[in-house]
Amino acid sequence: MKKIFKFLLRRDVLIALLVVIAFLFILLSSGFSLVSSILIDASIFTIITLSLNLETGLTGVPQFGRVIAIIAGAFAVGAIPGRIMALFMHLPAGAEYANDSVNYKVVPVINKLLETSPALSILVLIMSLVIAAIFGAIMGWITSRPAIRLKEAYLGISLLAIGDFLMWVGHNWEPLVGGTTAVFVPDPLRAFGVNRMLMALIMTVVLAVLAYIILEKLTWSPFGRTLKMHRDSDLAMSVYGKDKVKVRTRSLVIGAALAAVAGGAYVIYTGTCTAISFTRLNWTFWPWAYMMLGGIGSNTGVLLGVLALAIARSMIVIYRGAVFGFLMAWGIDPIWLEYTLLGAVIIIIILFLPQGLVPERTETILPPDRVKRIYEKIIKRE
Amino acid sequence: MPGWLASGLVYASGLALTSGGITFLYITTRTFNFAHASMATFGFYVVYTFVALKGGNPYIYFPLAFLFGSLLGIIVYFILNRPLLKRKANEITLMMSTLGYDLILLSLIQMYCDYLTHTYKLYPRRVTMSVYDIQIGGMNASTYFAPITAVLIITALSLFLTRTKFGIAMRATIENTPLSEASGINSDKVYMTSWVIGGGMASLGGAVLAMATTGSPVLGMNLIANMFAGAILGGLYSIYGGLFGGFVVGLAEYAIVYWLAESVGTWVLGYRLAIPLLIMVVTLLFFPRGLAGIQWRRIFKSLSSKKGEAS
Repeated sequence: MKKIFKFLLRRDVLIALLVVIAFLFILLSSGFSLVSSILIDASIFTIITLSLNLETGLTGVPQFGRVIAIIAGAFAVGAIPGRIMALFMHLPAGAEYANDSVNYKVVPVINKLLETSPALSILVLIMSLVIAAIFGAIMGWITSRPAIRLKEAYLGISLLAIGDFLMWVGHNWEPLVGGTTAVFVPDPLRAFGVNRMLMALIMTVVLAVLAYIILEKLTWSPFGRTLKMHRDSDLAMSVYGKDKVKVRTRSLVIGAALAAVAGGAYVIYTGTCTAISFTRLNWTFWPWAYMMLGGIGSNTGVLLGVLALAIARSMIVIYRGAVFGFLMAWGIDPIWLEYTLLGAVIIIIILFLPQGLVPERTETILPPDRVKRIYEKIIKRE
Repeated sequence: MPGWLASGLVYASGLALTSGGITFLYITTRTFNFAHASMATFGFYVVYTFVALKGGNPYIYFPLAFLFGSLLGIIVYFILNRPLLKRKANEITLMMSTLGYDLILLSLIQMYCDYLTHTYKLYPRRVTMSVYDIQIGGMNASTYFAPITAVLIITALSLFLTRTKFGIAMRATIENTPLSEASGINSDKVYMTSWVIGGGMASLGGAVLAMATTGSPVLGMNLIANMFAGAILGGLYSIYGGLFGGFVVGLAEYAIVYWLAESVGTWVLGYRLAIPLLIMVVTLLFFPRGLAGIQWRRIFKSLSSKKGEAS
């Protein structure tokens, strides 16, 4: 009994309970479709924020260019799988594929084929995500080059500028993903006879759970300990014979591949890839806020942080009329409160709760019960 | 004067002011100020509101923009920067805190735009400020006034830092904070003043930038990378370096894009962000201390001595 009570009073358990209650509330008041769309968004951002946590929380690289890897994954899925399919089906697959007047005819033909064959759909889905991961890893390796030389703020700003630049490249270079117009993405989620939304939910949740398990394993592995060592003191790490360059590169490549998978999954879920929508505000700053709220360095914290903030975000959208209706009298759209929430979360966390909702678990050199035994022994002796 | 140079000068002056502000805040408080983006946008909206509602030319409202930016600077100093500096927070935390402030300001700007649209039937989301400009000698007056504003600010700043007692105290704090505190300088006051000046420069810079580009709620947000590029080119160690760096980045962007659009085609216009990015990369790779870190005197000396040998 006492144990159960103690368990319930743990911070992470309490927050998880609150999140579940909030989800139940939304389910009862607004229906399943809203809950599933919140969950899909939250799952995608969970992957992204976990990867950010790997790079920033564990390795200590200020990743202000999270959007770079996401763009790599999203653009790759927007540009490549559709072209491969078109090539096999003798449809236009070159530079003209991304032109909106061609694209809106080609992709429905591909989708019709995919609809008939679940096996092919799964193949396309896996191929898309693998392509995203590969391009993300390449982008991660490229961005790890400045990350070796630069430190702190300089690095953050360079990464931020690279992300902005990539977005503009996508926006202006039509053969990539349609430039100013959106390019359609072959949809592998329709072939299974169930609602497309449900399939998207299953896909994103499975991916998020996988990402969580992988990163949790990685955090408590020797490699994870090396990363934390790098974060706390890279000089000490070098003294113990670990190569700083290798550690940083590996962390950035793994993180970027994960984030790129999330970007690819997002593009598959929405069915279109619009270059201009990959802004640093949505894909770099929001993940930072999620991570800071959850607790930098703590995977469980990140998970809870994403869920809690995703709910808060959608609450603003749902109750914009009911609660913030007074703003409408001045013609103000309450949707802007989302930015206020984002900024306020960052500021409040920094000022009052620097460790986040679920602080990072500290690792003792010996198991805790052994430390306790040694402590008791010392007390007895005295 | 060709058209690109005219608007390029305005743009470069605006970037010089904002980059200078970023550098100034960095050398005094170690804070990379992300909020510069929205502070600049606010500066533009102060000028726009007065011009659209009260009339007159934009330049008479520039001092108001500066004052408003200073106010925003004081707010962020007392709410965020001061407690964090006392806690000796690291650079990333300081940077993130200004990012939070920036996002709140951005939401306020968006709401203000909605308000202007609703109440005064204005179109504040796409503003061409040059239509409010006056003409001098067949040119937009901003071509003259923007560089003049930048020069005035540099002069005032250098007079303040070298001729006044408080300015000298400020330089002492920048040079060595513990030592200056030991000799009785109130570093708290110094930090506050730097936010007053830095915030003012941000808003003034935004007002100037809007004279050359399209004014919108994301004016500052879209240009923040360019502002940082200017600050990095300047070297982040000297305020004049920051001002000069911003000017060079702005003018280079206009000149190179214009030249490429003429020779290659107008499609290059979409990739103009590549130029500040390239400048940033080259600076960080080859002379990470920026323009201010290069020992110009030694270079000139060696050049002149070589000339002497040749003759």
